[in-house]
Amino acid sequence: MPAARQLELVINGERRSAEVEPRTLLVHALRDGLGLTGTHVGCDTSQCGACTVLLDGRAVKSCTMLAVQAEGAEVTTIEGFARNDELHPIQRAFVEHHGLQCGFCTPGMILTASDLLTRAPDPDDATIRRALRGNFCRCTGYQSIVDSVRAAATALREGEAA
Amino acid sequence: MSESVIGVSRPRVDAPDKVTGATHFAADGHVHGLLHARLVLSTEAHALLQRVERDAALAVPGVVAVLTADDLPLASAGSDRTTEPLARTEVVFAGQPVALVVAESEAAAEDAVEAVVVEYEPLPAVVDVEDAMLPGRALARVLEEDAGGGDLESIHAGVDKGQEDGEEEQLSGNVLDTVHRNAGDATALLETSDVVVSGTFRTPWVYQAYIEPQVATAWLEPNETLVVSTSTQGSFVTQRELARAFGLPLERIRVIAEPLGGAFGGKLALMEPLAAGAALALRRPVRVVLTRAEDFQATNPASAQVTHLKIGARKDGTLTAIAARMIVDRGSNAGWGVEGITSLLVAGPYRWEAHEIRGYGVQTNRFTFGAYRGPGAPTAAFALETLMDELAVELELDPLELRLQNAVVEDDVGVSGNPFPRMGAVEVLERIRTHPLWQSRDSLPDNEGVGLAAGYWPGGNEPAAAVCRVNQDGTMTVVTSAVDMSGVNTGFAAIAAETFGLSPDQVRVVAADTATGPYSGASGGSKVTYTVGKAVLKAAEAAREKLLAAASEELEIAPADLEVVDGVVRAVGAPDHSITVAEISGKALRFGGRYEPIEGHGGSAQTRGAPSVAAHLAHARVDRETGEITLLAHVIAQDVGRALNPALVEGQMRGGAAQGIGWALYEELVHDENGQLLTGSFLDYAIPLAERVPDIDTLIVEVPAPDGPFGAKGIGEAPVIAAAPAIANAVAAAVGIRLRELPMTAPRVWATLEESGA
Amino acid sequence: MEHVRPSTLDEALEGLAAPDAKALAGGQSLLPVMKLRIVRPSVLVDIGRLELGGVHMSENELRLGALTTWDELESAQELGRPALAALAECASGIGDLQVRNRGTLGGSLAHADPASDMPAVVLALGAQIVLRAASGERTVSAEEFFLGPFTTALGPAELITEVVFPLVEGSGSAYVKVEHPASGFALAGAAAVVRPDGGQSVALTGMGGQAFLLASDADPVDALPDAEIYGDRFAPVEYRRHLAGVVARRALDRARERMEGTDE
Repeated sequence: MPAARQLELVINGERRSAEVEPRTLLVHALRDGLGLTGTHVGCDTSQCGACTVLLDGRAVKSCTMLAVQAEGAEVTTIEGFARNDELHPIQRAFVEHHGLQCGFCTPGMILTASDLLTRAPDPDDATIRRALRGNFCRCTGYQSIVDSVRAAATALREGEAA
Repeated sequence: MSESVIGVSRPRVDAPDKVTGATHFAADGHVHGLLHARLVLSTEAHALLQRVERDAALAVPGVVAVLTADDLPLASAGSDRTTEPLARTEVVFAGQPVALVVAESEAAAEDAVEAVVVEYEPLPAVVDVEDAMLPGRALARVLEEDAGGGDLESIHAGVDKGQEDGEEEQLSGNVLDTVHRNAGDATALLETSDVVVSGTFRTPWVYQAYIEPQVATAWLEPNETLVVSTSTQGSFVTQRELARAFGLPLERIRVIAEPLGGAFGGKLALMEPLAAGAALALRRPVRVVLTRAEDFQATNPASAQVTHLKIGARKDGTLTAIAARMIVDRGSNAGWGVEGITSLLVAGPYRWEAHEIRGYGVQTNRFTFGAYRGPGAPTAAFALETLMDELAVELELDPLELRLQNAVVEDDVGVSGNPFPRMGAVEVLERIRTHPLWQSRDSLPDNEGVGLAAGYWPGGNEPAAAVCRVNQDGTMTVVTSAVDMSGVNTGFAAIAAETFGLSPDQVRVVAADTATGPYSGASGGSKVTYTVGKAVLKAAEAAREKLLAAASEELEIAPADLEVVDGVVRAVGAPDHSITVAEISGKALRFGGRYEPIEGHGGSAQTRGAPSVAAHLAHARVDRETGEITLLAHVIAQDVGRALNPALVEGQMRGGAAQGIGWALYEELVHDENGQLLTGSFLDYAIPLAERVPDIDTLIVEVPAPDGPFGAKGIGEAPVIAAAPAIANAVAAAVGIRLRELPMTAPRVWATLEESGA
Repeated sequence: MEHVRPSTLDEALEGLAAPDAKALAGGQSLLPVMKLRIVRPSVLVDIGRLELGGVHMSENELRLGALTTWDELESAQELGRPALAALAECASGIGDLQVRNRGTLGGSLAHADPASDMPAVVLALGAQIVLRAASGERTVSAEEFFLGPFTTALGPAELITEVVFPLVEGSGSAYVKVEHPASGFALAGAAAVVRPDGGQSVALTGMGGQAFLLASDADPVDALPDAEIYGDRFAPVEYRRHLAGVVARRALDRARERMEGTDE
């Protein structure tokens, strides 16, 4: 049985080292290996998106990646998403527009929104809803999340200072 | 007085932590020396448990123990999930936990679970709920266990069961409970009614699908206190259940409720007995985290129901009588069922001249039954509100006017035999009548329709207590033991701030646990804002009295002539004559201080209910070729008493409506004829996604609850109840078919269209 | 389980020769089945960083590298023309945003889930699948590639390197599906191509077995009654057969509109 080994990853701009086996999923390396528990496990069929992180700026499901696959790439988790100790405009929008209730799906929602807004800075509601297909929410009914993403898009377009 | 904070939309107090990932949910905390537990679940729906072979599992590196029921220090016999967290002798549903594998890592536990071999002696599986009622049928449970009890029922739906019955139906031992509500001669009245409509309605088992899977961690402190850190709706009720399970005195058990990743009724005392039992047996910290697959199989979804319903009316639209026979599939090993509440709510928010309602709670070899947001209500509303629309068609009356004509007002007597308290049935219907969607319902394109439905939730009462403590810096800390499932903490901050005289920014709300906190019942039943919020209000009042007593001495003005505004105590009419709350508190909280700490304790014990009514409009389009239903718009009007924080209230309304959309179109847990679960993952069980939920227009109606804080009442459950029949009625308006089974999946819609030749 | 990351295609093929070795590309098909313990490879040969990507358009054909992601397909400008519209249309409906960032064309085709979408498109567009083994390269038509549910013509130590699509000037294509509300997979998916000479092709997926071409006669929909279609608990066979006809017709209509330039 292959032994655990130390894996070097770049997480939130820092070089971090985690003990992993080949089969260790990225989400477990983040949560158990590195104590970054803001990334959540919500399902086991790669659907719910609570585990979403950014890999080189692109939203991926960390439960559907091996930790070793992230070697050499930049991983951003929700903990690293704020800008210099201030909330990122997307985070601020979720707070101000009530885009959350229990908060379990929220980190994933925010990071998927980040990917969306990078490629589509002015999305309409239908585009936002479609982009959130891989992020389940059971509490909000989604509308306040869509409102938050739309508000974040506006803030980012208007060059809101971080 | 500066501007009121009541009625102002403010962000949730816990939002900043949640958007940064700082919130620690129950699976996130680090515990030194933690062991990880995974469940071995029964593969048989009904069987005698012969043997659990552990050797191969124990040989997996990292495995510490494989526990069965005998290894847990359970104090009493019993057959619910608290007293029988692992099956003892008889397995009663596929997915029932049979053993617990405990290991140094989750991976090792997962590997070892596969290595455990369980031998069963299969017994007949009881899966047809109506058949199971007939005398002489095989029983879903053959061995007698002491049906212990516990008080989980009261949290959700404490209602009486109607009258005792002299006349007895012949029923099998699978019928655990019967309810009979009867007044007048409904049968005779129906026979003489101008119009009668009837039908049989079926709803499936439905899963709460909280995004955070169930989890509990337990360990023993050096002084032998059992500490349980868990994702739960109620710390005190969990403490009581654990005491019951393990025969421990309450003071030896400390339950800490962690931030909740959704629950909706499903997280009460399921995982804690397992974690606690393992911790007690092994004397090491143990965490049980369910995988989603385990959560599908081994938790406690909402019962399937069959409802036979008949209602009648006079030509002028007056409802005459309602006759119902409601069969609740209670599954296997819960201590209670929804037959009481569903048989109450099937009458809806309407007046009836006579009623004859029977409810049956029937055990089968399926899941443990659990509560899900408005237990028993969506199923009752689906039946009633469909028939109300059919009645309107027969009577040639407008469906809204028909409902309005018969809507209850305060003091009307319901089928419970009790008068209705103040509630906003009329107001809600009148409000939704004005909505443009309702106004335009007759001028829609082909294959589109608008449907209406209404429902209500009685709310709940449970005494509660709270503490408001002013700190040295003049800020306030509010302490309750209430689990924040719906945003109540934000409401508490507003209530305390408004009552005391601070800005909400200066109020922090902390959740205490069973060792440290004032009492709070479980969050559920739509009662936390109403009851705990009231306790917070009274605690804030008590603290304010202390503040004014001290300020009065300082300022030499009578307390009655003082006001508190934004943290400043000042003379009414002479605002310069003032002292800050911080200054007073500073004089109290120090060595040699001359005033009592500015703290207040408050309690509440409302006995009057505060029901909430919600009406829905659904605008649906049906694709005749595929049977797919697209929701184009949705409206919900709800009587919330008083919207302490409109944004949060709207969030509850939309969230509930979205879950109702799930009931309507997507959600069903399905078993095969052997009781095996066929829909055990999100690949088979669909919950609403962002693309499938339309914008939901929210209409807040305020009919103040006399005993609620600022007139507020519990509002979490009402919004889910009538969403599905509104959609069903929209489908009828769109393409002329009526489905009597939920969910209305595309294949079912298409098949019904084909059959009807439409 | 081991994880190896070869730096060349040849190294990868060598690695795949080991018993119970599996190729790992984006992992969006393989990792889920590994998590369900349906598949338990002893070695994962990580080909995710090999030079097998790219969208290459020439005068009469389109070559897609096996590691082209759905996101790349969705956003490639070259694929906007009516003849190839089915490709991006199909890709944009696969999974979700996160899955499309990682999932690859080659990975999905090799996995050959009978309810997956892209097999229908490669069949209808008459694609050729380029395979490489240690012994050399071969090309297999899409029709010869899909043999059964999760079963393809891929040998044990063989990889898809490219998928080649002939360009039929002036044609139009489309992909239409009705999805299962839970899994998002096709309850019925149809890829259609309409050619200026009047020829039509329709391929179906989600029918229970592998994706297949309907006989490309005057009206492919005529072939439906004889097609092998299976039902399940959610979608009984009569419904599925009916749906197949609906999506086939809708796909043909949309393909024709694109060919004629009358679509939106």
